[in-house]
Amino acid sequence: MSLQDKMRERARELLESGAVNMVIGWEKGTFWYLSPPAFITTPEEADRLVWDEFCLNNLSKYLLDYRNTDDKIALFVKGCDSRNVVRLLQDNQFPRERLYLLGIKCPGLKDSRAASLLGEEKRAELPLAPKCVGCTHPEPVIYDELLEAGVSGDLGSPEKRFEDVEKIEAMSYDERYAFWVNAYARCIRCYACRNVCPACDCRECIFDRTQTGWCGKQMGLTQNMFFAITRALHVAGRCTECGECERVCPQRLPIMTLNRKIIKELNALFGPYEAGVSLEAKPPVVEYRPDDPDFEERR
Amino acid sequence: MYKLATEKLPELLQCWSQGATVYVPQKVGEVTLFRPFKGQGDLALGEGNTLEPPKDLFFPRTEKLYDYWASGKEARLEPVELHPDRAVLVGVRSCDARSFLLLDQVFLTRGYVDEFYKKRRENTAVVALACTQAAPTCFCTSFGIDPGRAEGVDVQMWPVPGGYLLEALTPRGEEMLKQASGLLAPAEGEKIPAPAQPSLQVELEGLVEKLQKMFDHPYWGELSRKCLGCAICTYLCPTCHCFDIDCETIETSGYRFRCWDTCLFAHYTLMAGGRNPRPTRKERLRNRLLHKLQYFVERYGQFACVGCGRCLELCPVNVDITKVIRDVKEVSL
Repeated sequence: MSLQDKMRERARELLESGAVNMVIGWEKGTFWYLSPPAFITTPEEADRLVWDEFCLNNLSKYLLDYRNTDDKIALFVKGCDSRNVVRLLQDNQFPRERLYLLGIKCPGLKDSRAASLLGEEKRAELPLAPKCVGCTHPEPVIYDELLEAGVSGDLGSPEKRFEDVEKIEAMSYDERYAFWVNAYARCIRCYACRNVCPACDCRECIFDRTQTGWCGKQMGLTQNMFFAITRALHVAGRCTECGECERVCPQRLPIMTLNRKIIKELNALFGPYEAGVSLEAKPPVVEYRPDDPDFEERR
Repeated sequence: MYKLATEKLPELLQCWSQGATVYVPQKVGEVTLFRPFKGQGDLALGEGNTLEPPKDLFFPRTEKLYDYWASGKEARLEPVELHPDRAVLVGVRSCDARSFLLLDQVFLTRGYVDEFYKKRRENTAVVALACTQAAPTCFCTSFGIDPGRAEGVDVQMWPVPGGYLLEALTPRGEEMLKQASGLLAPAEGEKIPAPAQPSLQVELEGLVEKLQKMFDHPYWGELSRKCLGCAICTYLCPTCHCFDIDCETIETSGYRFRCWDTCLFAHYTLMAGGRNPRPTRKERLRNRLLHKLQYFVERYGQFACVGCGRCLELCPVNVDITKVIRDVKEVSL
């Protein structure tokens, strides 16, 4: 039985038995290279579910939409998605007992933008999705049952994730400033990066409080930079590197480079840490420890 | 009808740059955008749309309306000078050209003329470029748009082997071709290429009437589950034109401005007392789609969609307006 068939079967069973009243997975979109989120609420609809190399959306974000309901939800999670579930559980954003996790060993997904340009005849040769390069956890870290997937592809060495950060670190201050100004001058503040991010779980975002004067609504470099820096620092220690922010950015801004710079700094300051890998390990910036590596230095 | 050799394109843009700023699609990083031509840059006049529509030339993302100063009981207002610079917009596709006519309806008709928009519109010549290949996301022909010939433009260009054909459609366009006559050759025996034929189509017959009965339909709730509530579809839409007015004050002086806003954001309809008549994504996404496909038609007799396909291409969760149109025709009331 293919993974897709297994997904449909389990979704149908979970809905029929009443164990859950909604299954969140993926379905086929407008084009062969799109597999957007699907919300299945009746057993008959379970056959809409698909599994293919374009199931890129991190579905854990949607739990926030149901945090104040009584819905019991079954969620399909790849490795990266599962880490966000851990983060949401740690932040008490969703009760574990209303959640049923169907884990998928992720083989690494494909770049849907490249697919749209290359055409379906090149489907077998598509590059890995940029967000999957150097993935450290293709297997879910939390689940109620584990569904297998295809053979795990070569996702590249985890060090590859920091290549872009190192390129920028090698620049002079002026070059770095020019690099970021150049990028964020193009930001249209559509907030897709924030809205897709499962680490962005604030009830009300600072950038939606437009009357406070913190960040004006005008479209300008100052506001864009303020947004970029604030967003990156707000997810510090909580970013699981699922890469959704960068994937959805219409301007293709290097958002993950910012996130990974912060991850690199956190590792250096507080010791190695990966967000959302363990329910017990506390994120470095929400915990005080006298044995933090930088403690002596700061004293 | 005239012909321009491909290698003379920069010279043509240079020529039109005299006394005006020429905006032309250029590669910026990994995307294509209309940018001022400065004699260099990576021109991108091949097939396909720019990431951002050119509407910000007429309706900038942020526009200052007036300056003010206040201290004690004294106050002063200072109007800003209306945008005086001339511009030439080169490489506009038929879909985006239609969007200008739709924006004209909003900003110039029904008893109010928006002077800021009007001035920019008058000061800008538009040179269209015909499409000979459609992207999978293109569906302009469904709205009666001809990808091979744009409406309401000054000059129409067609790509042909070795260059471009140019035809003036207005006195201003004729003037522009005269200005560039040294670069152009009469196009004898040249055939206008066949227009692109988008394979994506939507059937609009009966759509408005159906939508008029669907305001409370559960369809909108289902559709909006996956919507992220971001502004990609609105900010990259050539016809979306909503704005907010706000001010920036530092001590005793400041300025009032308007800037793009989007009905997909919660604070778009947030009232001063805290009530929000569009409290969830269901109401907001419904509003966007009904504005395009029903309200605009009721007010102006035209759809506020031009089939450029940007929202379809870039929506992170594949909210597809063509699928919405098909779904709406099928759902039972």
